[in-house]
Amino acid sequence: MIRYTKTTILAVALLFVAAACEEPVQEIFDGVTPEELANSTEPALIDVLKASAYQRIIGTWGGHNSLWSMHEVASDEMAIAHKGADWEDGGQWLRMHRHQYNANEQSVNNAWAYCYTAIGDVNLLIQQNPNVTALVAELRILRALVYLWLIDAYGNVPIVLETDTDPTPPTRTRADVFTFIENSVLDNISELSTDNTKTTLNQWSARAILAKLYLNAEVYTGSARWADAETQIDLIINGGVFSLENNFFSNFVTNNENSSENILTLPYDENNAGGFNIAQMTGHYQTQATFDLQDSPWNGYASLEEFYNAYEATDARRNSFLAGPQFALDGSPLTDDNAEPADPDGPGLNFTPEINELAPNSLRQAGVRVAKFEYRVGATPNLSNDFPIFRYGDILLMKAEVMHRQGNSAGALTYVNQIRSRAGIADLAMLTDDILLAERGREMFAEGYRRSDLIRFGKYNDAWWEKDASNPSVNIFPIPQIQRDANPDLQQNPGYN
Amino acid sequence: MKKFLLILLVMSVGFQGALLAQTKTVTGTVTGGDDGLGIPRVNVTVKGTTRGEATNLDGTFSIQVAANETLVFSFVGYIAQEILVGTQSTINVVLQPDYAELDEIVVVGYGSQEKKEITSAVASIKPEDFNSGNISNPTQLLQGKVAGLSITRPGGDPNGGFNIRLRGISTFGGNQAPLIVLDGVPGADLGNVDPNDIASIDVLKDGSAAAIYGARGSSGVILITTTKGNSGEGVTNISVNTFATIDSKVLNKISVLGRDEFLTRGGTDFGSNTDWVDVITQDAFSYATNVSLSGSMGGTSYRASVNYRNNEGIVKGFKNERLNTRLNVTHNAINDRLRLTANINITNGSFGAKNNNLFDFALTYNPTAPIFDDGTLSQNSLGGYFQTLASSDFFNPEALRREQNFSGTNKTILASFRGEFDITDNLTVALQYNQDRFTGLNSNVWSKSDFDFGGPFGGVAGRSTDDRFTEIITGTLNYNTELADGLDATFLIGAERQEITSEGFGLQTRQFLFDSFGANNLGAGALATGPGTNYYSYKNANVLNSAFFRANLNFKGTYFISASVRSESYSGFGDNEKTGYFPAISAGAELTEIADLGPISQLKFRVSYGITGALPPSADLALPVIRNGGRIDLDGDANTADDQFIAPRQAQNPNPTLKWETKKEFNIGFDFAILDGKITGTTDYYTRNIEDLIFNIPVPIGAPNPFDAGNFNTVGSTWVNLADLRSAGFEFAASYNGLKIGQVSWTPSFNFTIYDKTTIEKLSIGDGLGFDDLRGGNLGSPGQNNTQIILNTVGETLGNFVGAKFIGIDENGQYVLEDANGVRGSSAADFALDDLAVIGNALPDADFGINNSFRYNNWDFSFFLRGSIGHDLYNSFRSFYENQDASTSAWNSVVTDKTPVVSASPTFSDLYIEDATFIRLDNLQLGYRVPSNSEWVENINVYFAAQNLFTITNYTGLDPEVRYTDGGNPLVPGLERRNTFIPTRSFTLGVKLNIK
Repeated sequence: MIRYTKTTILAVALLFVAAACEEPVQEIFDGVTPEELANSTEPALIDVLKASAYQRIIGTWGGHNSLWSMHEVASDEMAIAHKGADWEDGGQWLRMHRHQYNANEQSVNNAWAYCYTAIGDVNLLIQQNPNVTALVAELRILRALVYLWLIDAYGNVPIVLETDTDPTPPTRTRADVFTFIENSVLDNISELSTDNTKTTLNQWSARAILAKLYLNAEVYTGSARWADAETQIDLIINGGVFSLENNFFSNFVTNNENSSENILTLPYDENNAGGFNIAQMTGHYQTQATFDLQDSPWNGYASLEEFYNAYEATDARRNSFLAGPQFALDGSPLTDDNAEPADPDGPGLNFTPEINELAPNSLRQAGVRVAKFEYRVGATPNLSNDFPIFRYGDILLMKAEVMHRQGNSAGALTYVNQIRSRAGIADLAMLTDDILLAERGREMFAEGYRRSDLIRFGKYNDAWWEKDASNPSVNIFPIPQIQRDANPDLQQNPGYN
Repeated sequence: MKKFLLILLVMSVGFQGALLAQTKTVTGTVTGGDDGLGIPRVNVTVKGTTRGEATNLDGTFSIQVAANETLVFSFVGYIAQEILVGTQSTINVVLQPDYAELDEIVVVGYGSQEKKEITSAVASIKPEDFNSGNISNPTQLLQGKVAGLSITRPGGDPNGGFNIRLRGISTFGGNQAPLIVLDGVPGADLGNVDPNDIASIDVLKDGSAAAIYGARGSSGVILITTTKGNSGEGVTNISVNTFATIDSKVLNKISVLGRDEFLTRGGTDFGSNTDWVDVITQDAFSYATNVSLSGSMGGTSYRASVNYRNNEGIVKGFKNERLNTRLNVTHNAINDRLRLTANINITNGSFGAKNNNLFDFALTYNPTAPIFDDGTLSQNSLGGYFQTLASSDFFNPEALRREQNFSGTNKTILASFRGEFDITDNLTVALQYNQDRFTGLNSNVWSKSDFDFGGPFGGVAGRSTDDRFTEIITGTLNYNTELADGLDATFLIGAERQEITSEGFGLQTRQFLFDSFGANNLGAGALATGPGTNYYSYKNANVLNSAFFRANLNFKGTYFISASVRSESYSGFGDNEKTGYFPAISAGAELTEIADLGPISQLKFRVSYGITGALPPSADLALPVIRNGGRIDLDGDANTADDQFIAPRQAQNPNPTLKWETKKEFNIGFDFAILDGKITGTTDYYTRNIEDLIFNIPVPIGAPNPFDAGNFNTVGSTWVNLADLRSAGFEFAASYNGLKIGQVSWTPSFNFTIYDKTTIEKLSIGDGLGFDDLRGGNLGSPGQNNTQIILNTVGETLGNFVGAKFIGIDENGQYVLEDANGVRGSSAADFALDDLAVIGNALPDADFGINNSFRYNNWDFSFFLRGSIGHDLYNSFRSFYENQDASTSAWNSVVTDKTPVVSASPTFSDLYIEDATFIRLDNLQLGYRVPSNSEWVENINVYFAAQNLFTITNYTGLDPEVRYTDGGNPLVPGLERRNTFIPTRSFTLGVKLNIK
């Protein structure tokens, strides 16, 4: 009996041991597998995935520490001054302003990561839906748009296609990237819609990509392509789909989705698509009371005095700023109890155009603030204004520029004056590079184009307030060190180490 | 456990069947050879039978016994004696204390061994060595008691967990703390056991000992054995232990300016005088009661206990309450060959907590500001509180404390059933089944008057639940045999399956009309989508299948060898990497058996080598899992709902090549006993090589995933087997037992560990993935958002601080700083990262603990000192708040004896890296045993205990305790953040009562 029991127990034990050596399967309960995604028959899925790919590029603009931040602070439009320790942040914004940025800047890496996240998503989506021709074409142009930002900011970057398998894609020259963007758009544009879709790419916005690319071709490749730029611009203008809004600010209000002027926008939304935080980034702490904002702003971005003063007093676009004494929503004056004793304006909150110094002790109230976009009363930190990537007003100024560049300054003037008259200021009688650049500055303030405009006009390396003349090597940003650590095949841009 | 096993032994031997003979009554007294006092509850058994009695409180006994029989007197901690009855009718016995306790049974994982047979580094701690006072977490009992085991909890949060590190850092993953094995249940939560119910704690320190737990053993193993029912037939014991504790705040070396000083410095005056730390703190009152009942009848013994604790934090609103009930039942049947055990534990807890940023704001909020304001003083008087819009980084601490409430309840049921059957005298089969169910329910409320978060959203409330279900089934076969003359062998073969399932859900809504119902009526919140809200649910599970084998050889009590191997198969790795093997071998020789070493009564030399593993932080890292991306509204019109979706998105870059990380540990050591075991000690030296650490590394985002063909990196990092680390250490522990000074017996003991700090050997894998160095420890807002002060470099020790050197302050009050090349600047921003020098290291060179126990008649007194040597800490309070520049008119300045007068704005340098070497009087206890003549009361002990009485250190922050992690990240040690809970000092008065 004992022996029998013993044998049985031993046998059971051995079976148990054998079972314990079995390799268990990992089950997933709260996600789906790629196979489930591929086999889904949900009709909305493709549209959702496409919208999701668009959503990825939203982070590139609109927030702090973004590509937008880099374009603005490195240009002569804006600065983030150190208010004592406040905004010191390791000196990143000081270096950005002074063109001393290095490969370890947080924003330089953030912007890169946003761009390549979108590229990865697009590639995955193309790979999963190779036979949906229109979708693939649109995604390829979306990828080209992201590369337009990359070629402008970083110059020499890796090109990653949906068919690629190299885990450390190597650096490609800026000229290669140029050709890639150009071909991506040209090869696929015919598949796109001609509807004015605004938040997704269509033939008009695809042409705007080409127009921007050709406009900067001399910077990107060394050879100007003014005529090619003009061809694309003319196609947009002659399409008759877009027109200038009577009110400049209609393009930037909270509900700007029906603007006749905006060609492609990033559809920010306080509920569904957050990330547009400009009110927080620029407002003084007390600006919360001016707009009854749900959160206290951070007192960061302010405009440069010289830039602000470049607006004529009657220029409607001068309302793109919060300047002078500030008031609460009910009209009562605001005070900053913590204003520095050294502040000549005293505690009453007053945004003076003059900023006493960039660092270390900028006054808390110094500098006019960005208010081009409407701050809805009661707004959350995430604004719902759609951010224009391409705007008809810009297209007209681009038209003026390419004509001017090709010697037709008189023709160019009509386009510049369209823009000026909309702003309520007198027509110009003559055009020079400087005048055109200044007009672009006033029109395109805070839209993220100032840096590349300055570079194209050869002014980016000039000295300006709290900034010495810089070396042309800073005209492209460094490749982020974190990315180079992750990908040894990335070459650093010249002038950085 | 030890006693329980002894009884088992005695009883099973007794089975051979005693012949009934002419019996007589023998009486006597058992006294201790150390103090001459009677010893209660000594087991008096008749050798070779199951008959036995226990001595009374005064040590007396009475037993029926025949003249040819032998009485065995045994008691924990004493050398057992056997006495032939013969003609004696009175037998008085003096039991000698067994200081070395070589026959002590040590739990080693799936079994136990006599201490003398153990060949790896194992420390065994018994209740008499435990720390005392208001102990709510079992690991507190061990704090400072075991060389190499560091148990820290900076600050005094009653809800805070302890950081437990055995021999430093052994993984970067989720299991940095040792595996807890509670009564044979691996991975049990410490919340399942009340400190009062613990019979012994055994710590498996080296790789060889821990290897039997394979993939969960890399961080060491702590085996906790709960008290089982007593053995005396029909005897019922009731024990009551209750205490009350008062905690008060300790601001060791840190203070802030008072109102007048603040104004002199140019601070803004709001007209009041408020000590914000006083406002938010209180003297906290805590209490606990433990009642246990134990006894036996027939073959069944039981112990039931109820523990209730109510701990209050010194910051009002932090609290923790717990009711822990436990029933341990053991039944022996079939002539003791079948042994059945059921342990059932039910724990109900609740907690209350506040925003931890309170501590930061309480120290630095404007001292002239009032708590309340009707709007005349401040720019915002939401809820009637004073609030200034000075900066988004500062909030009225009292408003924050009152208007944010975080609370929760949790319930745990741990049921464990075990059966053991002796198939033959030397072959035992055992089967154990464990179920551990945890349910947590958390509520978070930010009221309509909360300036920080709730107010702007019209009040926010959320509730979430988390359930975790663990099922473990373990089977073992144990075989003892004598392989050859004098060569005893024990073989163990076993198998185990563990399945852990976690699931939960949560909802947070906003825009309430009323605050009064908190999170109890989330439906009253108008909005459930958009900012300030969320809803989710989740479920995941993982399976670990194991088989293990161990052989222990004992040659004539002189030479010992132990070898084991465990195979582990984990669901969470790729198809080709699921199974790993974790072998170990150790050997020892008792030198006193080989040669006469004079006064040395024990000298055991041990050497061991073992490989252990560590599980990845989550089980799905190898798989391409698609979860939730952004919210998509296809037509952009929020009014149409049927076109709104959540986009699917790959949540991580899958890595199907992910495999076990391993730790190879070599250990060499001695155990010794001198002067008849009065001096005992142990010393160990170890080296550890940790390979293939699972770590999340940056990869080129958007690039093809090298581990999963055709996939693209959808996030910027991938989990890979990356780093190799190396560390070593030397441990020593010794105690002197039975030292007498007149009538006073004094037992000093001490231990120390010297660390050869963890060195990073490698931070890369093939294909160029990885790094040369890893930075971390961003200091944060205001102003130091982009300042990373920890640099981990290949070839260097982990946890190096880097920064500029502070040279002085110039005539303008500006910093003069210098980089590694001697280049000077005035701000951290002036230096390139690569030019900064190493300015300190966050990990300690050594830890030590010193205990002294005194006994005099019925009095006992002990005090315990603990400390760490050679670690640096970043003092965030000074770094952010000691300056007196213009910006600080908005907030108060921190003042320490190291504060210089600087009118520049704060910037980081080595000025804020301080040596945090400390020695702390951690624990002090005075006890008195009240003599009892009552026939009901066995004894009464009254005790007074104090915790954290004083700390000697040059560190000027809140708590010089070693910080092993920053928010769980072991790569960023040494940062004392501003949200550190204010440390406390505790005084406890307690009574223990045993009822017959």
